[in-house]
Amino acid sequence: MTGQFVAGQAPTVGSGRSARPRTRPRGEARAAYFFLTPNVVLLGLFVFLPLGGALILSLQRTDGFGEGSFIGGANYAQLLSDPLFWRAAVNTVLFTVLVTPLSMGLGLLAAVLLNSVLPARGFFRSIMILPMAISGVATALMGVLIFDENSGVVDKMLRFMGLPGVPWQSGGAAAFASVVIMTLWWRVGFNMLIYLAGLQGISPELIEAARLDGATGLQRLRFVTVPLLGPSSFFLLVLNVIYSFQVFDLVFVMTGGGPQNATSVLVTYAYDQAFVTRDQGYAAAIGIVLMVFALVFTAVQWRYNKSRDRGE
Amino acid sequence: MELSRRHFLAGAGAVSLPLVLAACGFAPAAPKSTPKAGTLTFTTWGTDSELAGFRKGISAFQAANPGATVTLNAVPYKEMFTNIDAQLQAGNPPDIFRVQYYNFGSYAGRGQLLDLSTQLDSGFRDRFTPAAWSAVQNGGKPFGVPHHTDTSAILYNKAAFETAGVGPVPTAVEDAWTWDEFEKVAQKLRDSMPADKYPFAVNWQGNGVTRWLNWLFQADGRFLEDDLVTPAIKSKAGATALDFTRSFFPKGFVPPSDSVQSSTLAADIWFSQTSAMGFAGAFLIPSAAKTLDFDWGATFFPRNVRAGGDLGGNALVATSETSNPELAASFLDFMTQEQPMRDFCSGASLLPTRADLVAGGIEFAQRSDLSPVFVGQASVVQAQDAGQVASPDMTKIITVLKDQLELAFVGGQSTDDTLTAISAGIAKATGG
Repeated sequence: MTGQFVAGQAPTVGSGRSARPRTRPRGEARAAYFFLTPNVVLLGLFVFLPLGGALILSLQRTDGFGEGSFIGGANYAQLLSDPLFWRAAVNTVLFTVLVTPLSMGLGLLAAVLLNSVLPARGFFRSIMILPMAISGVATALMGVLIFDENSGVVDKMLRFMGLPGVPWQSGGAAAFASVVIMTLWWRVGFNMLIYLAGLQGISPELIEAARLDGATGLQRLRFVTVPLLGPSSFFLLVLNVIYSFQVFDLVFVMTGGGPQNATSVLVTYAYDQAFVTRDQGYAAAIGIVLMVFALVFTAVQWRYNKSRDRGE
Repeated sequence: MELSRRHFLAGAGAVSLPLVLAACGFAPAAPKSTPKAGTLTFTTWGTDSELAGFRKGISAFQAANPGATVTLNAVPYKEMFTNIDAQLQAGNPPDIFRVQYYNFGSYAGRGQLLDLSTQLDSGFRDRFTPAAWSAVQNGGKPFGVPHHTDTSAILYNKAAFETAGVGPVPTAVEDAWTWDEFEKVAQKLRDSMPADKYPFAVNWQGNGVTRWLNWLFQADGRFLEDDLVTPAIKSKAGATALDFTRSFFPKGFVPPSDSVQSSTLAADIWFSQTSAMGFAGAFLIPSAAKTLDFDWGATFFPRNVRAGGDLGGNALVATSETSNPELAASFLDFMTQEQPMRDFCSGASLLPTRADLVAGGIEFAQRSDLSPVFVGQASVVQAQDAGQVASPDMTKIITVLKDQLELAFVGGQSTDDTLTAISAGIAKATGG
């Protein structure tokens, strides 16, 4: 307790502050800053610096070669009247709205199943997680082989059974569905993994108590398990939304944004503007808007989550 | 002999003229025949056959120039130009890179390429066909060398033709089917095939949308005036070409997935025998010869008012930042000499850009019987067609074509609205 009192001064009763509590946080803070420094430096170099560059670029008209010309908010104004941007934005939101709950719901179901007493559950867990080890482009190439409307496995099977083939490339809704299905295949394993970890942190006594109180299996899931998985759900919700906003490789390889821009999303549209049309200022503006969308969503979720915690 | 003032001036002018012209870049620089030394980096994508051809050319260049080293950097096609753009922006580009003709203008028109007019002999242009040479011009100066070309012709499934009763195919470019004859062939095939098989597939997907211009050129149309700024597509020829090509979809001549924005390539449709014919470049011959287990042949692209074809293929260019422009120019010169070009084109099933090789013909290493079809097809590519595709704004025009043709082909947009929209898009792209 040395250092708790200062010579010549009486301890302040009830202040809750003493010499030691003042010095220990400073030491802890120094250690914290020390441990944070590598991450902060890396984030600064590879995230915040390019972000600043993109923001400056979005205020310019530039093809990427030489100096651009400063045009203020003209790129942002152009976005407002660009139907392809709005089409891509609507597609991105639709993709997010479909993929996020589906991948979380299917991930939760798989986790509940694989958390129970199931023969060879280790094997099934591995199978579920396997897609995470495959790159997005490889996943998309598998999607092309599966969903090609002329020679793909799915349509061949449908025709073999006497059913009409699905226009996976020439029909907008079917093309969109094919991208969603491949994304789910890719992402459900990750959701399952996070939920599985969450489930294993739930005390079995709580479930047992609910059972003794007469709760059915569905009621135990709805009123005990799901609420207790709140932190996992919050984490997955934010991550799934951000991943969905950033979807690129699957769309780029499987559909190229077609047909008739039915699968064009914000990142593929930004890519086309940056590297095909070479309007890099405009592409940067699309990127900034995308980031703002993601930030706003995350901030809203963060606030909602904190208030829910307080309520609990 | 009395030397008058007039004689003196004339003599002095004659002596100094080459120096003045050379300084202006119009004249013959000294022949670059002496061996060169130094190091070059060369970035390209390519099939196995193409990369083997480049390696062989580099070895021969190094043997002819003992102090020279060329480092080949082979990258995947999808990453090629994002890499090149990033390197140019960062100020560390390769000395040499390979670029499509339709993409050439976007670099040459923005000061990224080495002006070769001061590096190469004045007679250098004579080695190439006019169409190929016009594809590497910007502002009247060459900024690259046309390394090889390729153009689309028709690959066809012989069994499907026999089943449909399609007679002998044209064997000379001047006898190519007219559009009417081609349509009759397509209809015969349509009538003989099940609903999920199609007469043909056209290779206009993605940036291959420039191949739609074949039909426009055959209707004797153009999309840019000679100034490469003013749109010229809203014309009778433009309407004829668009009406004809959009009719392929409702008539069931092509699969619905053969649209411009589709991720399914025409080659894959034909390879999988979903279609009886496939429009394809000669570069596909090696893989077709290796993988297809059915009997197939090739014939010419149909013609209308005139014959026409797309100038596919690629140029080799040096970057303006190269530290050794003389060596870079020397390498470009070497790679377009007779033997290196013959070896490269023969091995990779591509078409030469040299006038002497075009006139003398070339034999592909695989399916040499098909060489005359592609060489003949390439011979009808006109310089005015190739010159338009080399526009500095071509990449923006490609985006306009992709969006609007997709709407016309599968979105029900009218021909008039489509041509109006393309014309407006071109004007916006070129500032015309």
